Amino acid sequence: MQPLLTIEHLSKVFPGQVALDDVQLEIKAGSTHALVGQNGSGKSTLIKILAGYHEPTGEPVAVFHRPDGADEPLALGDGGAADAAGIRFVHQDLGLVDTVSTVENLALGGGYRTRFGRISWKAETRRAIADLTELGFDDFDVRAPVGALAPSQKTAVALARALRGWENGARLLVLDEPTASLPGADVARLFDAIRRVKERGVAILYVSHHLEEVFEIADEVTILRDGKNVATMPIGELDHERLIELMVGHVVERRRAVISSERGSVLLDAHQLSGGNVRVLDVQVHAGEVVGVAGITGSGREHVIPLVTGQIPSNDGRLYVGDAEVPPFSPRAAIAAGMAFVSADRQRQGNFATLSVTANTTMSDVKRNSQGPRLVHSKERAEAEGWVSKLRTKTSSTEAPMATLSGGNQQKVLFARGLRLKPKVIVLDEPTRGIDVGAKEEIHSLIDQAAAEGSAVLVASTDTEELVRLSHRILILRDGVIATELLGDEITVENIERAQLQQQTKSKVSHS
Amino acid sequence: MTAVTEQPAEPTAGAAPAKPGRNWTTKVGLDKYSALYLWALFMIVFSFTSEQFLTWTSIRLVVTEKVIVGVLALAFLVPLAANTFDLSIGHMMGFSLVITSVIARDHPDIPQVVGALIALAACAIAGFLSGLIVVKLKVNSFIATLGMSQVLAALTLLFSGNRQISAVFTDSYRNLGLKPIFDLPLYFYYLVILAVIVWFVLEHTATGRYLFATGGNYEAARLAGVKTDRYVWGSLVVSALIGGFAGLIQSWKTGLFGNDVGPGFLFPAIAAVFFGASQLRNRPNVWGSMIAVLTLAFGVKGLQLTFTGGSKPWIEPLFEGVSLLIAVAFASRQGIIKIPKRKVAAKS
Repeated sequence: MQPLLTIEHLSKVFPGQVALDDVQLEIKAGSTHALVGQNGSGKSTLIKILAGYHEPTGEPVAVFHRPDGADEPLALGDGGAADAAGIRFVHQDLGLVDTVSTVENLALGGGYRTRFGRISWKAETRRAIADLTELGFDDFDVRAPVGALAPSQKTAVALARALRGWENGARLLVLDEPTASLPGADVARLFDAIRRVKERGVAILYVSHHLEEVFEIADEVTILRDGKNVATMPIGELDHERLIELMVGHVVERRRAVISSERGSVLLDAHQLSGGNVRVLDVQVHAGEVVGVAGITGSGREHVIPLVTGQIPSNDGRLYVGDAEVPPFSPRAAIAAGMAFVSADRQRQGNFATLSVTANTTMSDVKRNSQGPRLVHSKERAEAEGWVSKLRTKTSSTEAPMATLSGGNQQKVLFARGLRLKPKVIVLDEPTRGIDVGAKEEIHSLIDQAAAEGSAVLVASTDTEELVRLSHRILILRDGVIATELLGDEITVENIERAQLQQQTKSKVSHS
Repeated sequence: MTAVTEQPAEPTAGAAPAKPGRNWTTKVGLDKYSALYLWALFMIVFSFTSEQFLTWTSIRLVVTEKVIVGVLALAFLVPLAANTFDLSIGHMMGFSLVITSVIARDHPDIPQVVGALIALAACAIAGFLSGLIVVKLKVNSFIATLGMSQVLAALTLLFSGNRQISAVFTDSYRNLGLKPIFDLPLYFYYLVILAVIVWFVLEHTATGRYLFATGGNYEAARLAGVKTDRYVWGSLVVSALIGGFAGLIQSWKTGLFGNDVGPGFLFPAIAAVFFGASQLRNRPNVWGSMIAVLTLAFGVKGLQLTFTGGSKPWIEPLFEGVSLLIAVAFASRQGIIKIPKRKVAAKS
């Protein structure tokens, strides 16, 4: 295959940090090229330079190779030049306006079809339907607000918008973590759409933490580690273990949770609980047990943790932590009863970005370090430092604002906030979303350890491998109820995915 | 058997957060202490340009004149910590003053101190209502307190009958605030005490931590078990009480009620808090606000003495407005410099 884009000698130095060190990247025409690496490996910086958000350091060489053999240089660090050269982006947060329709979202970027100066919504609607049909998404109302769409549909809208007018120019589509919050079945649909884009001759640069996706969709993969180009090779020459090894630089031993032969007493007991998309939830979690919750978005999986922790109101049912009944719709009461939880959305529901690591850690029980009304700051700091070293959190100081930490390290601080309460029950929603492989495994070890020390753990995740890694027992939700329960050797990625996928046929019906 | 065989050798991004730019401005602390530098500059420059400037008489005048602004700045600061705006504090001051004055005029049998306490109670009720509107009716605090300020303005007009009230306070009542210690009236010391209390609560108690947490991320604070609504609500009652206290200071200081007393202090108080937020630490704080009040006051005084040989009233709002704009622009420029660095460090 012909090379489409060649980048050489790409470096980026931030004060005190070399983000990219003489990196090269060659993307072949019509191929899907995966870019992988841990957080801090430099892949975000690379994408941001492509998008023109950062300027490269030094004199990198970037060249587009035209099919006719001519070369055309690309100015890196210039958003306008990238766009003119035909590089399109779908960023992780998609950048859609939730309150307006698909038609309007698509038109926002590309301008309107007008009739006598007036926007012709008829023409715009036809065009939106045509664009989405090309991506294999012909099954939803393009006039409905985007906020009401399923996650995969939203992603498709973002794809369609990026590709608007691809006939006249789109050559490279950059997808940054497009599946970060997509459940398994939705990923399949997205991949179908990506293949359709590829068939048009648009090359794809695919950035993801999900390695199984890389194996499924990519032709070639470039691995970055510590700002350096470790390897570029056809995906066929790699297996999962080898890829992780290249990313991490040492072998991460994958480990299945050991099924404990004897279970402790029941610490978390949900009785006919219902609320949100959850119709009925009956679950008992024993001391020392990790119970995983799976299900595609819409199955109720996304509301299990908010319901159990009292973030959303319940319609019916009872919840016990130990022997104590927990009143519904009160996170505070849940915490008081002995529950610790980490919510799915770290930025919105967890972090105090401007407050220090110390303040973030001790927030769950500030008064512990008080003497009378006075907070003893030295005691607070000592406690926070203890947690930082125990969880191997990387931060310049415990007084550094939370915002200066990387995602994985922020998550460790949030874990410390919960663990310091010595909770009976630990409830986790997407515990490693957007976290690199190394930190992910450390978080997983923390969860193992908390269970081994006698906590009951309930964890919901869209990352199937994570559930397999962590759980003694897995509950798969469909249509708001627990449809399948997997135990012991039944716990495999394939079984979970299959149990979730049974939903897909049903949801297709309900969408049309 | 742990699953991680060893720590990755290479540091992830969080290990080496980008160091703040060590240019000369940060080295001399111009980012955190700009108001102190400015203050020193005023003191030096104006001591040359005006003979009266660096005299105890004018220093005393500036300090006592700005006590009310300082008190209202504290009133604005408390809810602001919880990211809640109280724009009614100026009218709250007038409201408290009219109640105290009317009780003193119409009910000579009631001790005037009791009248003052009644005024504070009324302010607390008004603050409670603002809290109710913000917390229960989910009205943005900006709008809720703006609306409340007009209700208070109406009540003030109603109680006063739109007339000035003067010479109603007894000497013994006014002495509660006017009695001098070291040539400064008692009410100056009340401000100092109040500032110490607010500083202690905000910086050194769990309550302060909860307020800043509520202000920093309301949802995260709620999910961490903080009674966020209660703190927002409570902060509005406290700001109303402090605003009411400013009315009492006015009653001691001038012994006079006029319909226009109060609202005029809102801007300088807010300006001081925002200016002060860029001082000492990067968030609203008590001593930053107090330094800002004094810096602005001495700047205005110096300009008035130097260029007009007395009082040209327009200098004050012009100077305060421009200072606020410059100070906040300076602070946010610092913030803008930090933002890309922070994004680099937190690649999640």
